[in-house]
Amino acid sequence: MNLILATGFLVSRCEGSRVTLADYLPIGMMLVFGIGFATVIMWLSWRIAPNNPTPEKLAPYECGIVPLQEPVQRFPVKFYIVAMLFVIFDVELVFLFAWAVRFESFGWAGIGAMGIFVILLLETLVYVWKRGALDWNVARRGRNRRIVVDSLEDAA
Amino acid sequence: MNEIAFLPIAAEILLLGGAVLILMAAVTLNLGPRTWAIIAGTTLGLSFLVAWVQWWRIDDVGSQIHYTGDFLRTPMVVMDYFSVFGGGLVIAAGGIALLGGWRLVGSLEKRGAEYVALVLLAVAGLHIMVISANLILMFIGLETASIALYVVAGFTRDRPDSDEAAIKYFLLGSFASALFLYGIALTYAATGSTSIYGPTGIVAFFAERAITEPGVLLIGIALMIVGLGFKVSAAPFHQWAPDVYQGAPGAAVPLMASGVKIAGFAAMARVLTVAFDASISDWAQVISALAALSVVVGTLFAIAQSDFKRMLAYSGVAHAGFMLTALVAGQSGVPGLWFYLGTYAFQLIGTFIIASIISGAAGGASPLDSYRGLAKRSPVLAGALAVLMLAMGGIPLTAGFVGKVGVFAAAIDAGYLWLAIVGLVSAVAGLFFYLRLIVLAYFNDPDPALADEPITAPRSSRLALAVCVSFTFLFGVLPWPLLNLTSEALPL
Repeated sequence: MNLILATGFLVSRCEGSRVTLADYLPIGMMLVFGIGFATVIMWLSWRIAPNNPTPEKLAPYECGIVPLQEPVQRFPVKFYIVAMLFVIFDVELVFLFAWAVRFESFGWAGIGAMGIFVILLLETLVYVWKRGALDWNVARRGRNRRIVVDSLEDAA
Repeated sequence: MNEIAFLPIAAEILLLGGAVLILMAAVTLNLGPRTWAIIAGTTLGLSFLVAWVQWWRIDDVGSQIHYTGDFLRTPMVVMDYFSVFGGGLVIAAGGIALLGGWRLVGSLEKRGAEYVALVLLAVAGLHIMVISANLILMFIGLETASIALYVVAGFTRDRPDSDEAAIKYFLLGSFASALFLYGIALTYAATGSTSIYGPTGIVAFFAERAITEPGVLLIGIALMIVGLGFKVSAAPFHQWAPDVYQGAPGAAVPLMASGVKIAGFAAMARVLTVAFDASISDWAQVISALAALSVVVGTLFAIAQSDFKRMLAYSGVAHAGFMLTALVAGQSGVPGLWFYLGTYAFQLIGTFIIASIISGAAGGASPLDSYRGLAKRSPVLAGALAVLMLAMGGIPLTAGFVGKVGVFAAAIDAGYLWLAIVGLVSAVAGLFFYLRLIVLAYFNDPDPALADEPITAPRSSRLALAVCVSFTFLFGVLPWPLLNLTSEALPL
């Protein structure tokens, strides 16, 4: 639904030479729908759900098992590197899509510009690859890491 | 598609290409620091050459605005004397700062290539800030440079204070960038454009109509002043500077301190004196208040410091105040600003090179006690320090004096006599901590533990230091060539 509203908004924006307040109507409608939907859902769950609390249910992580360990642990930094690489190439794809839908009208100049863009990103990939960022040997690096947060059992 | 004009952005292309080449040479061909030095030197040299070519080109065909798109609607890059002078200054400062800190590259091993590439990218970003004719492009340049410098600030991983410097610089810097961006957004809301020039730009907007309810515009200008004021470390947005300068690897500080100041002030001059020239009566008072606060706060806090780099950081706040003093005069203050900026940048690079020689290329803290009796340990270094300190204090026969005269003259001409008086009193008070360094170096005995330890400076640092000191001395005795150049370097 949001997509339809956004498209409608863009079309109305492009056709008229002057922007009037009426052009912002779709955004206003979206706002009303969004707030209304959230309000109704929250009201429904408050209205329908039976309220029968126990201490276990009010625990921060209510899923049946008493937590044994703090969730704050050290993660291998690899995850962040991979996540960052993913974001880089995800964003690259976003730009490629925008260029691909109009690539005939952009012609060779467009291909050249996108080529420079893609080569710069490939260069990044080559660099991080050669520097070992894709080497997923966590055990080799993480073997000697000490546990920072003691488990709750030990503390008790 | 229109033809692309490559001359105005040739420096960026060269710097980006150089950075990519260095990274690739390091990981695929396993080439060492010597190759990086050749590539970086060639890149920076060619970029500087481009500045000359641009200057001649403007002599021939006049200033040019370069647009993007088919309808000449969005000016992106402007090639005028202002941007060419500022761009050349940024490249020169970046080159000499990199040369002076080259010892750091050798100590970083494989990561050295990243450092050199980041420096080149930072210079490219700063260059974009100077040449941009569009506020959004200016922001992109600011971010390119800032992100590269956040990384450089934390490059020495084994020192906790380096991490602290990086995280402080990153958090506060991002916040300031966001404020700057919000200022751009509000300016767009008020004037309908993010371009400075062009038929639909901000200048044209003010030429055609007057704003009767300037609230949004004033908040926009104020936010942009805050954002740029942070980058040039003007009080009260200066708190990050001492910690970052002290914590970052010593050899990387010259670029962080001088390059950002050059580009920040160039951007500020472009935004305030060109785009918002029409509302000078509004922002000049704010700038004069910032200037007065900066000189007083910077001077007072610098007196209390016991660390050389922290002292330089606070003196940098005071110098930012002096440069803001020139800015209150609008466009007629730009030559004074340029002269001050051009000479101060090299004084700053020189002093930070000395600090990195004394306390190590990767080192952080640089206590004043380690400068005790410097003249006995290394007479040349002490002499260079003395010249640079005298120049920063504004003693005649150094470039600092000529710079201060130009700045105060601009402020007095614009009717800000009180600001010039505040600046003069602070400059005299500031002499205390500059001269204290000379007294420490010449009239004290060195620490017995250090007395016999020789000071080793690599040839690269000595060369860069010699350039900085000779610039300072030369333009103090014969300022006219640079004065002529700066009086031409006005924005379009």
